[in-house]
Amino acid sequence: MRKRSPYPYWFVLPAAVIFTVLFLVPTIASFWFSLTNWDLFDASFIGFENYQQFFSEPFLLRGVVNTLFFAVLTSGAKTVLGLLLAVLLTSGMFAQGLQRSIVFFPVLVSTIGVGLLFTELMHPTEGVINLALGAVGIPGPGWLTNPKLALFSVAMVDIWRGVGLATLIYIAGLASISPDYYEAARIDGATRLQQFWRVTVPLVRPATTTVIILSLIGGLRLFDLIWAMTRGGPGFASDVLASVVYKQYQAGFYGLSTAGNVILFLLIAVLVVPLAFRFYRKEVDQ
Amino acid sequence: MAQVVLKNVKKSFGAVEVIKGVDLTIESGEFCVFVGPSGCGKSTLLRMISGLEEQTSGTIEIDGKDVSNAEPSKRGIAMVFQSYALYPHLTVRDNIGFGLSLARTPKPEIKRRVEETAEILQLGPLLDRKPKELSGGQRQRVAIGRSIVRNPKVFLFDEPLSNLDAALRSQMRIELTDLHANLGTTMIYVTHDQVEAMTMADKIVVLNGGVIEQVGSPMDLYERPATPFVAGFIGSPKMNLYEGKVAEAMGCATYGIRPEHVVISDAEGQWTGRVRHVERLGADTIVHLEVPDLGPLVARVEGSRTFEPGQQVKATPMAEREFRH
Amino acid sequence: MTRRQLITGLISLACAFVIFVIPFIFVFINASKSAAETARLSFALPQEWRFWQNLVEVVQARDYQLLLAYFNSIVITVGAITLLVIFGAMVGYVLQRRKSGWNKVIYGFVLAGLMMPPAVVPTIWVLQGLGLFKTLHGMILIQVAYGLGFCILLFRAFVSTIPRDLDEAAIVDGAKPWQVFFRVILPLMKPVTVTVIVVQSITIFNDFTHPLYYLPGKENVTVQLTLYNFQSQFVSQLNLLFMNILLVTIPPLLVFIFFNRQIVAGMTAGGVKG
Ligand SMILES: Nc1ncnc2c1ncn2[C@@H]1O[C@H](COP(=O)(O)OP(=O)(O)O)[C@@H](O)[C@H]1O
Ligand SMILES: [Mg+2]
Repeated sequence: MRKRSPYPYWFVLPAAVIFTVLFLVPTIASFWFSLTNWDLFDASFIGFENYQQFFSEPFLLRGVVNTLFFAVLTSGAKTVLGLLLAVLLTSGMFAQGLQRSIVFFPVLVSTIGVGLLFTELMHPTEGVINLALGAVGIPGPGWLTNPKLALFSVAMVDIWRGVGLATLIYIAGLASISPDYYEAARIDGATRLQQFWRVTVPLVRPATTTVIILSLIGGLRLFDLIWAMTRGGPGFASDVLASVVYKQYQAGFYGLSTAGNVILFLLIAVLVVPLAFRFYRKEVDQ
Repeated sequence: MAQVVLKNVKKSFGAVEVIKGVDLTIESGEFCVFVGPSGCGKSTLLRMISGLEEQTSGTIEIDGKDVSNAEPSKRGIAMVFQSYALYPHLTVRDNIGFGLSLARTPKPEIKRRVEETAEILQLGPLLDRKPKELSGGQRQRVAIGRSIVRNPKVFLFDEPLSNLDAALRSQMRIELTDLHANLGTTMIYVTHDQVEAMTMADKIVVLNGGVIEQVGSPMDLYERPATPFVAGFIGSPKMNLYEGKVAEAMGCATYGIRPEHVVISDAEGQWTGRVRHVERLGADTIVHLEVPDLGPLVARVEGSRTFEPGQQVKATPMAEREFRH
Repeated sequence: MTRRQLITGLISLACAFVIFVIPFIFVFINASKSAAETARLSFALPQEWRFWQNLVEVVQARDYQLLLAYFNSIVITVGAITLLVIFGAMVGYVLQRRKSGWNKVIYGFVLAGLMMPPAVVPTIWVLQGLGLFKTLHGMILIQVAYGLGFCILLFRAFVSTIPRDLDEAAIVDGAKPWQVFFRVILPLMKPVTVTVIVVQSITIFNDFTHPLYYLPGKENVTVQLTLYNFQSQFVSQLNLLFMNILLVTIPPLLVFIFFNRQIVAGMTAGGVKG
């Protein structure tokens, strides 16, 4: 007779049931439904037609391209700005704690609120940003109304909102670097800039990986900010995969919507998962 | 009071066999010490007796009952951990009473028994503190209190003193020995420190690589070690041990002589050696010699005699104290 | 502090103020104006402070929809967090304590849950099948499913700091597995539990996307959705829109002020939050 383990697997059961039913099952089902013409009641198999449509209709393809552009742009900016801000905010300068809080606070604020606020601030004629630019003699662009600029403007707001988290992670990363390295570098005659490139950047790598993973995932999946600011417009200029999925859902094209979901899924699987698995392996093995 | 009997107990972790067949009887009321180098399987053996670890094969009996498959709490044992394992969120009182409250003992009885136990261990004034407000020695006592309150048939200790400083450790050794004398309960005590084993045990079990090397009283082991391993492990400084050609010349596979059984003189002796290093401890002096016939030889000389490094001396083993295997 | 640190500090503070604080001040000022004044969206102080009137008006709008929304959001948040803490801690505990081949599988799912976007329409299909679509229960369970990964990672990391001896002492004391967990381990996890509660409550309270999909219907409205719904209604009453933004910003601000430390701990712990 085997004694029962003091760590029984039924502890995992409630979580496993909820996760399986509400996350795994829909995820697995999505692969099937993306191959169908579907109205929630009847699904008829149509092969890869939905995917073909995604890559042949310019307005759908635009969503895919925009998603990648948005994710790479915001992720890169958050990584670079986050590191610079973190270095600044650990330099022991005046009102450092307060400034950390100020930079971080937008992370906690409702994305919809932020989106609506900036929509007003970016208003082409009445918005404060353009009024301020106008006051110094620069004609402000139509931030959200110019199709070439709309996605970029949303990205700016996303960086504004998310850089605080990157900064916070970098601050934690910097705190874990032993001051000995800097002292050794100084004894070797390294300038501040050399210390940054030769000590800080390599030793803060784990934080960099974290920031890139998180911001890439966030960027690829982003929906609420886009929806609050442009709803993918003007036209389809700022549509991303997540907004396409929602629009097709609203329009009743459930199969097409789900195909968009699967594409997003695959993008993350290809771009982020390898990075993340390598990163978390340490923790799994411990 | 209970006898503990292990019959051909084996334990494997995966493919690695850690305990390779142990047969052992611990008599009722005995203070039995498992001693051996780190990693030899002492804790594993103790944990199998406690039921925290399941044996791969073999049987364990406590007080005449086969408990091989019983839950730890049903074996009539109590255990004191190396880290003490006091519940940090509970007061001393609740720590000691935790097991009783799990068993749904009535509150007044818990209170009475906790206070009785506190009395024995002089923990009275500390009852309402949290573990982090206690010193190392006090935590140790609470951990012991937690096991006493359960009225176990067998106490199990896993290196309970290794987190204490030297002075406190020798004090606690005495307290534990007294406790054993007062309670008269069977105790099984694990340590890697042969001094602890020698000073506390009625019976010492020397383990090495998952097998028992020897079982016996402290003096048995000191005077009549059964194997070269025991000979080298028990006693401090270590016995001088020689194998190969040197031992063959003595007519055995392994030849040994304890440092305290080497007589040093300037005039004559069996071996001639050169002094390499001298440790003066006050009460006695440890001399490290290089003997061409043997190799390195350590001798212990009473008092504080002066030797110069490089000096030539004579050394002689006390004949009846030699170890031959 | 050197002169140089003082000067960089002041410059940087000024920049931080302009970039990060002014937008919130802008919200506050405009939330205090009359509708006619906000139409011009300026920084000028209101000619007449209408903060209180605006507040009342927003709360009363659409038949006190905001109050209903606060109620719904709080029910969802509290319900989901209760389940998340208990179930997440149980998984984190077993995952850390028990070493077996299943761990890698569970880990894979945890990471997938953290990173992968949910398949929304199939989820609606499942919810409908279970009769949970458009219900608060359904929404609670959805938030649990989506939040588990984060909670499990945090709890697991924390359990590794609790010595196993404590479990074993409790087992020797006669505790059953669930007693070991609820009487010894869970009470010791207070710090990480606070972190999980704070971070997840902000996440769930601020969630817009999932209620939009899974909880349509006027009576099910949540706080973030009111904001979105009001946007169309308040086109000519930006003062009320700003008041509404202010009202949804206040809860996280309060949480931030009181639980700054836990938020920082949670957000940086292995950097697991998206
Ligand atoms: N849970 C376990 N899994 C795998 N190997 C273990 C486990 N516990 C102990 N061991 C191994 O068993 C051997 C004996 O360990 P232990 O009984 O703790 O030794 P001791 O207490 O004598 O130092 C060691 O080699 C150790 O690595
Ligand atoms: Mg051990």
